[in-house]
Amino acid sequence: MTTEREPLLEVKDLRVSYGAIRALSGVSLKVYEGEIVSVIGSNGAGKSTLMNAIMGMVRREAGEVRLSGSLLDSRSYRVVQQGVSLSPEGRKVFAPLTVLENLRMGAFPRGGQGSIGEDLEWVFTLFPRLKERIGQYAGTLSGGEQQMLAIGRALMSRPRVLLLDEPSLGLAPIIIKDIFKELRLINNEGVTILLVEQNARQALLLSDRGYVLQTGEMVMDGPSQELLANPEIKAAYLGAGGEKAIRSVKH
Amino acid sequence: MATLIQQIINGLSLGSVYALIAVGYSLVYSILLFSNFAHGGFLVIGGYFCYGSLRLLGAGIWTAGALALIGAGFAAVLTERLAYRPIRERTNVTLYLLIASMGMNIVIENIFVIIVGGRFRALPPVIPTTPVSVMGLATTSAFDLISLLSAVVFLGALQLFLSKTRWGLAIRAAAYDLRTAGLMGVNVNLLISIVFFVAGFLAAVGGIFLSVRYTLYPQLGAITIKAFVAAVIGGLGSLPGAVIGSLILGLAEMLTAGFISSQMRDLVVFSLLVITLLVKPTGLFGKSVSEKV
Repeated sequence: MTTEREPLLEVKDLRVSYGAIRALSGVSLKVYEGEIVSVIGSNGAGKSTLMNAIMGMVRREAGEVRLSGSLLDSRSYRVVQQGVSLSPEGRKVFAPLTVLENLRMGAFPRGGQGSIGEDLEWVFTLFPRLKERIGQYAGTLSGGEQQMLAIGRALMSRPRVLLLDEPSLGLAPIIIKDIFKELRLINNEGVTILLVEQNARQALLLSDRGYVLQTGEMVMDGPSQELLANPEIKAAYLGAGGEKAIRSVKH
Repeated sequence: MATLIQQIINGLSLGSVYALIAVGYSLVYSILLFSNFAHGGFLVIGGYFCYGSLRLLGAGIWTAGALALIGAGFAAVLTERLAYRPIRERTNVTLYLLIASMGMNIVIENIFVIIVGGRFRALPPVIPTTPVSVMGLATTSAFDLISLLSAVVFLGALQLFLSKTRWGLAIRAAAYDLRTAGLMGVNVNLLISIVFFVAGFLAAVGGIFLSVRYTLYPQLGAITIKAFVAAVIGGLGSLPGAVIGSLILGLAEMLTAGFISSQMRDLVVFSLLVITLLVKPTGLFGKSVSEKV
């Protein structure tokens, strides 16, 4: 693969613990400019912890996270300023604020002025539904609309890397299809995407490359097409067999 | 009839001072989910800053007032940095913050007992108390009208700050979900400092008016219990609730004093609290806790 290029986002040997419980034991991954990379894994594999650790929302015990070669700050507000934003698990829209106010919050690091109008237009072109609901309270939106809002909000900071934590969570299959189509469009606009998903099939169909996270360790990685065809992955994550852990560790 | 109008004006005036205190209290609660019992301390700090500036510096009321508000604002920020932030960074259990705030209240009170002594001090007559006729229907004191007007101005300014500015928006977002506000690129520690500054600032406005009304002493902050009751009646964490609750409380106190007996005031206040907790425990405008999951 393109190993000579410098990755846009690089996670190296990242460790995170909650008290005595180790959530991530030395996780590494690379995301190159323009890529969509997915991390798949079952419940409790450490996917959200990985996202939160990159964002500085949980303490990184060891290891490092770099953006274009320079270290990402450990404080999340600095991470956003440096160019990484997250659409969190469970969407976490600000329910008592309007759609517009939610999007404004996404643009917070830029001082709220300048090109915010342009970015609003951009987000509204991607998600026309949000424009229709501009003055509505976020709490009154449907699940799919809330997910669009969470993604739009994360885009308002004009990130170089967009992190997505389970964008399919709790949504109907038809809505999931819509959301993933939008992610493809967003990527075509030049936004690099790192996505963690339990919905392995959708994630791998969308992404260029994939990683498999299992109980805090990366157990496999490769081009998404290969992962989709891999019998072990099929058995463990694509519903072709029972939930069976992957034994072989390849790097 | 004249007595009724007079007592209504007095009630609104007292209620609006409670509102200044209750709003700060509620603002802190909405962000950090604990009742800051050191809030009364901020009010006392404001009172003494004002007193000191008037007596020792010979400043006018505008300068003394400004110094008091800013001084109390920074004292509130300092309290948060010293006593609450170290706890916040180690645990999510808000009970520890509550206990720390009780401790800070005692600390602030006793700092003043040591430095200036426990005796009651009257502020120089900087706020006029001349009788004023209200449209020929009743007479009231200019002081009551001025305190009512000031409260309206400061509460209006707070409303503008929260609804029109970028940090105001961030505070409203953080009141719903502090963690996610941090994820949006908001420096959460700075936001909390701003909230405490505003809370201390508004408490000092209330502190100045209360010192004129009741004289100034280190335990004056105990009056915050009334603002606390008002905030609970209105719904903890809700700013309109805090204002409405305060006005209800002020009116109830003054109408009781005017038509029943002055000694019954506190009985009525706490009866209102008990009734609210029995009938609608979340207060008039309170959000139910389950919404916040």
